[in-house]
Amino acid sequence: MGQRFSFSTDSRLERLSKISEFVEQAARQCGLDDHQVYDVQMAVDEACSNVIEHAYEGKPNGKIEIVCEKQNDEFTVTIRDTGKPFDPTRIAPPKTKAPISERDIGGLGLFFIHQLMDRVNFDFSKNGNRLTMVKRIPPR
Amino acid sequence: MNPQIVLLCPQGRLDAWTARQLGTDLEKHLSHGQTRLIIDLRNTRYISSHGLRVLLETQKHAREIGGGLKLCGLNPRLFEIFEMAGFDRVFEIFETVEQAEQAFAL
Repeated sequence: MGQRFSFSTDSRLERLSKISEFVEQAARQCGLDDHQVYDVQMAVDEACSNVIEHAYEGKPNGKIEIVCEKQNDEFTVTIRDTGKPFDPTRIAPPKTKAPISERDIGGLGLFFIHQLMDRVNFDFSKNGNRLTMVKRIPPR
Repeated sequence: MNPQIVLLCPQGRLDAWTARQLGTDLEKHLSHGQTRLIIDLRNTRYISSHGLRVLLETQKHAREIGGGLKLCGLNPRLFEIFEMAGFDRVFEIFETVEQAEQAFAL
């Protein structure tokens, strides 16, 4: 039997802490440990920051829908918005080994999402953007 | 504390929203010629890429004007995030404020 939790909010950066609280509660109820909860919270925080700043370009009245689901040994977060489509292939990966003078300030959010989650998929249609991120829950 | 060094202790989360305020505070110090900065992260439980960017921009700016930014008090999870992004190579990271302060004196 799967578990499902949903949350929706407007597109303001002030909402990030509420989003994080929702994700933490859902992830804990689905049995993720502290480390996994942090991973998922951070991935969702980075993704929602991107939606607010890039998809909705800072406009506060956009809608963000977040669904957390557990099926078997997978915890899946789906984030939907109706802002500008986001093409992750256009974002250059950050230079994580470069000296400070060569460090750019972009690309880190997407880098963390891929590092922290096991599967990541971006999907765009006329109905909006959908990001699906999966965290595998190892047996204890 | 050496009066020429500024110590900041951000609380809780450094996300895209709260990092803006920290960035404004840090820039204010730099514009007033306070170029030696220590950020004590012992009460910071979360930092996103936005928080890291603010620290990176501050470090670059501080070094340009002859100062620098040193960090201390990171919990193990925060340190892991710094390592993941390679930020442990960009910053001098100390356990305590006293150690960070002494490093400025060297």
